[in-house]
Amino acid sequence: MILEHFFPMPDVVTGFNITMRSFTTIVSAAALMLGVIFLTISHARTISQQKSGWYYSIFYMISLLITVGLGLLSVRNENFLWIYDNMTSPTGAALYSLTAFYITSAAYRVFRARNWNAAVLLITGFVVLAMLIPIGGILLPPVVPLGEWFRSYPSSAGFRGMIMGTSLGTMGLGVRVFIGRQKEHLGVREERRGVE
Amino acid sequence: MSLIIAGRALGVVALVIIVGAILYFMQQAYSGKMPTLRRLQAVDAIDEIIGRCVEMGRPAWYLMDSTNMTTPSILAPTVAAFQILSHTARIAARLGSKFFVPVTQGLAYSIAADIVEEAYRAEGKIDDYDPFGTVMYLPDGADRMYIINNMWSQRVSGAFFLGSWYHKAVIFTENAARVGALSLGGTDTTHNIPFLVAICDYSIIGEELYALGAYVSGDPTNTASLAGQDIGKYLALIIIVIGSLLATAGFSISGIFSW
Repeated sequence: MILEHFFPMPDVVTGFNITMRSFTTIVSAAALMLGVIFLTISHARTISQQKSGWYYSIFYMISLLITVGLGLLSVRNENFLWIYDNMTSPTGAALYSLTAFYITSAAYRVFRARNWNAAVLLITGFVVLAMLIPIGGILLPPVVPLGEWFRSYPSSAGFRGMIMGTSLGTMGLGVRVFIGRQKEHLGVREERRGVE
Repeated sequence: MSLIIAGRALGVVALVIIVGAILYFMQQAYSGKMPTLRRLQAVDAIDEIIGRCVEMGRPAWYLMDSTNMTTPSILAPTVAAFQILSHTARIAARLGSKFFVPVTQGLAYSIAADIVEEAYRAEGKIDDYDPFGTVMYLPDGADRMYIINNMWSQRVSGAFFLGSWYHKAVIFTENAARVGALSLGGTDTTHNIPFLVAICDYSIIGEELYALGAYVSGDPTNTASLAGQDIGKYLALIIIVIGSLLATAGFSISGIFSW
């Protein structure tokens, strides 16, 4: 696959690489079953030990039975699809949207000028936020070029440095995998120095 | 037909130099010349966080977010997080802290469970290891409410957020901060580094995660790999300086990227 990135390859090699990528997707999907088993054990324990909020675990059990039952009938089953479209998908979106609220409270935690580092963060954060909101540029016109400058130069420079570092780290990992010194991706732990 | 795909010749050269440097330092390490790694503050932070959990009688959590080991960009930070997990689990077992590791990917779960079990066994505390409770597999999606709810009900007093972090970074770290947990955060996912740095009490950024993993594992392969990667950084610095000077002097350097 590395050679395919740099050098022109015959179609047979490209086709083989596509097949190999499909294998990884299938194997990953099979691991989901393990998750269901462990989550069910956890909730069964909560119910049997009558832990705080144990009744919520009953909802899990009922939901699991209904969804798995309908899914086993057919993944194209109308009721199964209804559960996915009207319950699973909106719940996922709602959970994802929690991020917005947590970002707000995290911003409050961060944007306090406790020392000069935090003060710099506060000022630059304010300028960039003011630039991004529609009314910011009208009320404070200088924030627009200043905010653009922050994003284009100091911010980009910092991020590119980090990206270079992490890319080199990934290359290092690749070398270790190729020479057989890193086998975690195969489910094998090579280094066991932590346990002597 | 050209020998190399257009625009990728520079990449081949860089790849050969960097891989050569990594292999050279590995060879040096195996012959006894280990590169020296700077001790990061985070190493002491791990002891402090676990110690605090023991004093308060509350659990320490070790979270890794995305652990999809079939994606190269996620595999690298996940492997580093595993190395740090091994060290952290040993300290937790030694000091008698309650320890919890939720994992959202099957393969990563089996490895994490293996690592933590070994750590407890090595410390002679295998009875404290709960095969169903210390390391738990939570399907991605179900993990968010489980973790938030249990973070509050168990009043977690120490939390580690290491590995490849995405949008959950801000959700989990903010909850940990609200519940009063002392936390260490570290990721190489650039768009989430600011959240971990801002919210966590201690943080490591970018490839410091790999360095911490190599430092606590004491593994010559990983340590040598870091030294080889530094050659790549020096190479990038030289190219950036030369490119900046040429561009400032009015020379067009865009042509070399189309080779």
